[in-house]
Formats: sequence, C-alpha cells, structure tokens
Amino acid sequence: MRISLVRQLLLLLGLAFLPAIGQAVYYRNSISWAQPPVDSAPVSLAQTESWGGSVLWLDARPDEQFVRRHIPGALQLNEDRWDELLRAMLVQWSPTRKVVVYCSRESCHASHEVAERLRKEAGLTNVYVLQGGWEEWETAHR
Amino acid sequence: MKIRTAFLIVSLSALLLGQAGAALVWEQKEADLHPALTDKTAVAHFKYKNTGDKPVKITSVHASCGCTTAALAKETVAPNESGEITATFTIGERSGVQNKTITVRTDDPTEPATILKLKATIPQLLQVAPMFVRWTANDELNPKTITVDVDPEYSVEKINVTSTDKSIKTEVAPVPDKKEFRITVKPTESGRPINASLKIEPVLKQEAHKSYYANVQIDSRAKMPAQ
Repeated sequence: MRISLVRQLLLLLGLAFLPAIGQAVYYRNSISWAQPPVDSAPVSLAQTESWGGSVLWLDARPDEQFVRRHIPGALQLNEDRWDELLRAMLVQWSPTRKVVVYCSRESCHASHEVAERLRKEAGLTNVYVLQGGWEEWETAHR
Repeated sequence: MKIRTAFLIVSLSALLLGQAGAALVWEQKEADLHPALTDKTAVAHFKYKNTGDKPVKITSVHASCGCTTAALAKETVAPNESGEITATFTIGERSGVQNKTITVRTDDPTEPATILKLKATIPQLLQVAPMFVRWTANDELNPKTITVDVDPEYSVEKINVTSTDKSIKTEVAPVPDKKEFRITVKPTESGRPINASLKIEPVLKQEAHKSYYANVQIDSRAKMPAQ
C-alpha cells in the first residue's frame, strides 16, 4: 500500500513536471530577465550617522518626490536628468566624502542604479546605498 | 484498487480545476523593447482576456519604478472580455538594458497577483570614458585623454567638444580604422578650483540631436608642469 502511494506521488510529480519541461524547451531562446549583479554597498542609517558631516546624500527619487521632502542637504541625482544633475553633484563632491544614495524604500532600485553609474561611469569610490531608503530615514526622524 | 484510482482522479481534477479557475489570461507577460535613438518613451502593451465565468476586478497596477506608468482601460473585466494594460517607460537619461516590472493585482483568488516584465534596451550612440577627469592637489596639470566609442550601427563623421570653462582646452582626434575618437583635455590655468563640463556633440547624418557630457575637476593646488 505504502509503495503504491509513493508511486502515485511520483506519477503526480511527473505530471506536474511535464508542462514545466515543455515551457523550458519552448521558451529556450526567450529573453533573459536575470538582472546583472549590482555591486551596491548597502549601508544602515546608524552607520551613516556615525560618519557625520562627511556624508554626501544623493536623492535618486523622481523630481516631485524630492521637492515634497528630502534628507536635509541632499542633492538630487536621478536618471531622468542624469547629465545636468551629475554636473551639479560633482561640484559638491570630493574624494574625502562618502556618497550615500537613497530612493523611496528598501524595494526600489533607483538608488542601486545611480550608485552603479557613479562607480562605473564617473569612477567614484566610497559610494553606498541607504538600506530602507527615504522610508527608513523618515521613520527615524519623525 | 478503487481507492487508488479515486485518489488519482481527485488529484488530477484538482490540478486541472486550478488551471481552469485562472480567469485572466495574458497574451504576453514579457515585453522586449528596442526604442530608437531619438525616442523619449518606450511603450509596451500587455493584452489579457477574462476566460472565466465571473467578472474580474483589477484592484491595483503598480510599477517598480517612477519612470514607468501603467494605464488601465477598465477596472472590471467581464467574462470573455479582452483588454490591455499600456506601460509607458520614460527613457530620460538612462542607458543600457533596463528591466522594470508591473504588478497587477486582482480579486481573482486563483491568481491574485501577476508580474508583467518590461525590458528596454536603450541605444547609446556614444560611450564616453572616463566621463569624469580630475586633477588633485598633488597632480601636475598634464593633459588627460577621454575616449569616445561610437555605436557600430551609426556613422559619426566628427564630434564637437565645448567646455564651460575657457581655461580647459580640448583637441579631438579620430582613431584610424576604428569607430572611436580621443579627446585630449588640457588645463591651461592653475591656482583656482575648476569645475567644468565638456559638451560632446556628435555630427552624424541621421536625425539624432543628443549631446553627451564629460566633467572636469581641478584642485586649486594642482600645479602646471615645469617647462
């Protein structure tokens, strides 16, 4: 009885695998959605506070969110107006400053993308991404 | 034997019923977009049909990025009715491959959330590297080189470079047998901090008015090289 139950379970598993295998074969040349690994160094809010005034905050959110509220002293750097904003940001930047990028919340990607471009295109080091983003900062400073 | 057969039938029925209950059927859940050089947006259409026998209410449509908006024609989809979600991705000054998602939530208990995927490959006419050159306090103000690679699909005859600071001189030279230019950046003044940007404008046959930028930073303590 036990053996037949195992056989039935295996049969069901096999049936479940059939469409999956078919899909894998049918879509074998389909586009890949795998994101390339993003080398963003995440940093906690507590850690940034220990760095004091050496932090250069960068807000990667869209313009309207930045205008509504942002971390005091933060500069805007989003990909909608990358060239213009980067120019203004580099005037404030110096190698001794730690650049911390944030976006809306933990799940947003904009801060990672901006941090990646700063490293790759501008060759900056000391670039970090704030864990939890603006949401985390706002909660801590209510 | 009868128990075994009944077990098998019940399991298979559950499996099949689960599939039949999925009311919103999507024509495609992934879109691969290739906008042109001058395009400001890239648009994807995700078509669906309610194949169930009850209306399905779309409760929310949420994009993963502020750069993507998703427009919904109807909130409630009647049985046998079709519709679509139009996702508009604003290119802005983004580059490379962009992957965005749109989460569609419905009141259909068999599939309460569907993730639609949008991939946009943004053409980059010129690749400027490095796009930030700087001379620090201990540096001598010797010339530095910026390389500009041209996308093989385009024909760029020349590039024009202008600096926002007159003390920064530039010389452009094409690299023979390569779709590449080299910009030599020469500081001609010291003793003051300089933050300048170089506007790089490609001259090409196609209609594609886009400028690229490189940035220059010079510390006031950097010295001119000894003659």
